[in-house]
Amino acid sequence: MSTNDADTATDPHGDHGHDHEHPAFLAHHFDTPEQQYDSGKLGMWVFLVTEVLFFSGMFCAYAIFRMLRPEVFEGCSQFLNTTLGAINTGVLLFSSLTMAWAVRCAQTEEYKKLTTLIATTLSCAMIFLGVKAIEYSHKWEMGLLPAGMFSYDPAHPHHADAPNYLLWICLPFALIFLGTLIWLISSIVKGNKFQTACLKPLTIVAFSFFIGIGLGTILESGNKGESHSTASDSTEHIESADHSSEIASVGHSPESSQGGHTEYGVMERLAVDATNSGLKNELKALDAQSELATGTVVLDHSTDVDATIKRAPRDFLTPSRAGVFFSIYYCMTGIHAIHILAGIGVLVWLLVRSVRQDFNRQYFGPVDYVGLYWHLVDLIWIYLFPLLYLIR
Amino acid sequence: MSAGLNIPGGTVRDPGFPTERENYLTNSKGVLSWLFTLDHKRIGVMYLIGVTMAFALGGLLALALRWHLLDPDGTLFTNNIYNQVFTLHGAIMVFLFIIPSIPAALGNFLVPIMLGAKDVAFPRLNLSSFYLWIFGAIFFVMALCASGLDTGWTFYTPYSTTTDTSVIMATLGAFILGFSSIFTGLNFIVTINTMRPPGMTWFRMPLFLWATYATSIIQVLATPVLGITLLLLVAERTMHIGIFDPEYNGDPVTYQHFFWFYSHPAVYIMILPAFGIISEIISVHSHKHIFGYRFIAYSSIAIALLGFLVWGHHMFTAGMSDMTTIIFSALTFTVSVPSAIKVFNWLATMYKGSISLTTPMCYAISFIFLFTIGGLTGLHLGTLATDQHLHDTYFVVAHFHYVMVGGTLVAFLGGLFHWWPKMFGRMYNENGGRFSAFLVFLGFNLTFLPQFILGSRGMPRRYATYDPEFATLHTASTHGALILGIGLLVALIVLLMSLVRGKKASANPWGGATLEWNCTSPPPFYNFERAPAVGDPYDFHSIEWDEENERYVTVDPERKIAPEEEPTTEPAHADKKH
Amino acid sequence: MLPAAFSLLADYTEDYAWFPDSASTFSEEVDSLYYWITGIAVFFFVIVIVALFGFAVKYRKAKGMKAESQVSHNTKLELAWSVIPSIFLVGMFIFGAKVYLDMRSVPEGSYEVGVQAFKWGWTMDYGRGTYHPELHLLVNEPTKLTMRSSDVIHSLYVPAFRAKKDVVPGRYNYMWFQPTLATEKVSDEELAAATKETEENGSEWDFDKYQFTPDGYRFYDLYCAEYCGENHSQMQTVVVVHKTREDLDAWIKKYSSRSETESLESYGEKLYARRGCSGCHSADGKQMTGPTYKNLFGAQRALTNGANVIADENYLRESILYPKEKIAAGYQPVMPSYKGQLSDDDIDSLIAYIKSLSANAQ
Repeated sequence: MSTNDADTATDPHGDHGHDHEHPAFLAHHFDTPEQQYDSGKLGMWVFLVTEVLFFSGMFCAYAIFRMLRPEVFEGCSQFLNTTLGAINTGVLLFSSLTMAWAVRCAQTEEYKKLTTLIATTLSCAMIFLGVKAIEYSHKWEMGLLPAGMFSYDPAHPHHADAPNYLLWICLPFALIFLGTLIWLISSIVKGNKFQTACLKPLTIVAFSFFIGIGLGTILESGNKGESHSTASDSTEHIESADHSSEIASVGHSPESSQGGHTEYGVMERLAVDATNSGLKNELKALDAQSELATGTVVLDHSTDVDATIKRAPRDFLTPSRAGVFFSIYYCMTGIHAIHILAGIGVLVWLLVRSVRQDFNRQYFGPVDYVGLYWHLVDLIWIYLFPLLYLIR
Repeated sequence: MSAGLNIPGGTVRDPGFPTERENYLTNSKGVLSWLFTLDHKRIGVMYLIGVTMAFALGGLLALALRWHLLDPDGTLFTNNIYNQVFTLHGAIMVFLFIIPSIPAALGNFLVPIMLGAKDVAFPRLNLSSFYLWIFGAIFFVMALCASGLDTGWTFYTPYSTTTDTSVIMATLGAFILGFSSIFTGLNFIVTINTMRPPGMTWFRMPLFLWATYATSIIQVLATPVLGITLLLLVAERTMHIGIFDPEYNGDPVTYQHFFWFYSHPAVYIMILPAFGIISEIISVHSHKHIFGYRFIAYSSIAIALLGFLVWGHHMFTAGMSDMTTIIFSALTFTVSVPSAIKVFNWLATMYKGSISLTTPMCYAISFIFLFTIGGLTGLHLGTLATDQHLHDTYFVVAHFHYVMVGGTLVAFLGGLFHWWPKMFGRMYNENGGRFSAFLVFLGFNLTFLPQFILGSRGMPRRYATYDPEFATLHTASTHGALILGIGLLVALIVLLMSLVRGKKASANPWGGATLEWNCTSPPPFYNFERAPAVGDPYDFHSIEWDEENERYVTVDPERKIAPEEEPTTEPAHADKKH
Repeated sequence: MLPAAFSLLADYTEDYAWFPDSASTFSEEVDSLYYWITGIAVFFFVIVIVALFGFAVKYRKAKGMKAESQVSHNTKLELAWSVIPSIFLVGMFIFGAKVYLDMRSVPEGSYEVGVQAFKWGWTMDYGRGTYHPELHLLVNEPTKLTMRSSDVIHSLYVPAFRAKKDVVPGRYNYMWFQPTLATEKVSDEELAAATKETEENGSEWDFDKYQFTPDGYRFYDLYCAEYCGENHSQMQTVVVVHKTREDLDAWIKKYSSRSETESLESYGEKLYARRGCSGCHSADGKQMTGPTYKNLFGAQRALTNGANVIADENYLRESILYPKEKIAAGYQPVMPSYKGQLSDDDIDSLIAYIKSLSANAQ
């Protein structure tokens, strides 16, 4: 993102005759600071438009698949922890506030406040990532993964042999935290004031990730019993009620012998009532399919072929089908998280510059542009949260 | 007859020649001064070298393809290699050559100069987009060296998710090239919006800038969608996310929608700048005001916007609902109107002009001829019924080559010959240039006209081998490709020779009125010392031919000393900026 | 006038023909629309080209001459040339959409054929367990194809019918057409000669050379028009249009199943040719996309997962039904599953045929 920022190089061709004075922060090809600021701002807005379109692809995918399989989306979104999502929303909103405030402080040249506010924004971003790490690792442990790797089994939601994902996610952050801490101590010892001033807030920022982890763990454990009991309850209920018919359908299914896909059922069941109407449909679809497959019925002559398709496996439940929700969930939140990481990178750069007191009344563009970017990242989350967590 | 200097009371304005210290090519020396340059002109030249190399590679692949198709059973490759060669030909030509050719190479050089600015708005972003282009190219080369790529440049799922070639490497390359393209577009939008000098209103901009602006809008709006599509494709291959892959209940047609939402507008990324170049060339070499400036300018924007609504015409046989298909067909026809308007306007510009049949003008005439064929055959494809027959046949191949090669490539060459004296300060051999234009025109038609018939007769595209009844036409096509290749080689030689023994170019060798002809050839590194005076870019009244020095000069009416006045305390343009 | 000019060229058997045979109800409509559009296009093209070269010659002047006029716009003229072509465009759109809608509305009671596309071949499903790679139709009978793909996107294209539709995995696409021109049957002597020659050479039937099918029918080409991988250009088959229903039924019956008297091996050999096996597996040891059948049975097979198996009946059966379960080392998992497409007897026949090709079989 830093490349979007107005060019601040000092004039490399200083010898040609400018007839007006050029301040150090004004790039040689601009005439006035206003022109430079306007260019940067327009550039940032255009960049944000490309970002919106970038995400729009995934929003389209979300809309299409939600339209195709509403039941999958309804069922699966119950696996997302609304409390954690809400906390993250709050954290991001607060970080937007501090960011906007930071822009104001850059304009008024209040450097102490500016540094504090940028550091706060950064800490919020870290807390967000911490909470996200809890959410992700928990789902990975249960095998709630994109279609190709989806391995959730309602009978044993927690895989015993799963690696400790949380630990692996925390590792790089812990290293960063230790790194900054050591660097901070050494700079204090050396008496490098500038480095100390930069690293103090950064150490706190790096530590904030673990605040997020802690927050997430507490909320998750408080919530666990409730959300899980509903999940496993209804699953068991269906399973016991329809055991016999399930066996029948499995026996009939040409798919069942193929790839060991015996564990259908999964999430969509959650949406289905205890009545076995869903399974009846499934059985019917399976019959139709195997008939078609063995060649007893070649084509459905009675109706249009489209009708045959509709009758065939619309609600034929396989894990891959349920996996689509998690595919989209990981793509959207994952790419959003990458944007947060990029934002963190740029904010750290801003923090260093604010300690260096680079900004002034005429030159506060970078803070403003990064602020715009940060608000956009925030805004995208504001859309993601209800779409993925809330709508059921 | 000598028209030069015969206007009484006029003062001749000509910037003369740059000193070695001013000349952007020589003002600093060493490889590093090029690699780390922030000067838009040097970046433009580096792009020019890059895209030419990519074009040479893609062109050689094309020749190999044509050579292979001399015989119904193929002469050179196995099926597998043939598939890889046509894929790489397509991918290299689209992503590495056509998309960056005019906007990035010529555009980078020209946009700030035509605008009267010192540089683009974000010079460092500009350089980084060039390096992104290099990275993207490296990824493509790596894909080629690893296990090739055989998906076709469209990466259609589920073929691309199941083949064992280096799809991931190539898609990441295309993703990176997408960012290069976005940054270039973003830079131009901001430059044109905020860096116009006083007096350069929107409707005093040269049409090339309008075309570039429209192109940039598409680049910025469409490319991110390609980015996310390719990322999802990579995710589909690595994690099986089940969005595009039917094996996991995804939908391949959704992929096509996503892909063409970018790639159809990308067609206009390729052709719009060509329109801009042709508008410039036709007007300058006819020495006549461009006809219907506003219609041409608006039609560029109209094409850019309508171009976003017609992607479905690539999928008329894919199984969209009938209603969707019909709507896309209707929208497709609307986009052809602005292109037709431009052709008529160019002809009207030539009418009663004073035409010099220079090399650029020969290329421009060739462009109008070829692009008209390309455009008109689009009607067969836009019409639903005939498209059912012609879709995915050689008719389509011929159609888009007429637009992309006969259109964009020929315009690119025309533009290159037009601005070559400005870029490198040397005149090339005019007869050699015209000869190359003739060869390209001849070879191109011989290559692709037979393909229309092949398509009408039902020869499907992307076939490594074919039925013997198509052999005659394929042979004709291959011979044409050879002539085309020779023509392009001649063009290259003519241009390179000019660097060695070309005559020094004057500031205004063609008699253009746009701003780039107001600075020396080649321009100084700062372009303009102070913001130039801006007039109508197509007003040739004050441009006169100076027989003696073989140059065009601007003759200013004699100035009378104005009554002395107190100068205003503020710079004149200060109030223009809010 | 223009269509007439084209039809002068239209000796369809010649190399320079403009169109392939016109053999369906669509082809007439599509061709006339094509000619009409071409006519309009040529009209405008001639105007543009005459103006282009005319102006270039007429107004060519020496350097330094001023242009005769500097008119910069004429709104009325510009509006005129924006609007007038648009009228033609509207016409093209309407006619195109009309014919297209015809192509999409299948008449009631059409003759139905199922189509399965796979890498790299076609299987036409005539019902009652009859499958064959060739598409056989009845003249003047509306025919509906219901198409599915078992791997990647293909596209069924019959140039003579001017009809094309993509075959997309994960969904059923359909198309219909009504053949109007039956394909002739060649004389028995000609057929016998060709059959003999083919048998003597021990090669596969050469459609390009003989221009008729092994059953002696002339044919139209059927292509795959959507790129589908290595042998995309070989993914062709033929369309035969029968004159009478009896003839068609007789043909279908001929291929419906193994007759009482036919041995498993010989029927297996037919299936091998007919069901697309020969596209990837050779019978003579030649290296193709898939392993050869020669000496396959009873041999030790190294698998991609490192294990070794003996190619016995069970292994072959599994490989036909679930080809992605055990992949022989050195090959790609590209074979589509034949589950539901081959009856048990068919599979037995194929296995018997593979057995017969092996020296290892007891």
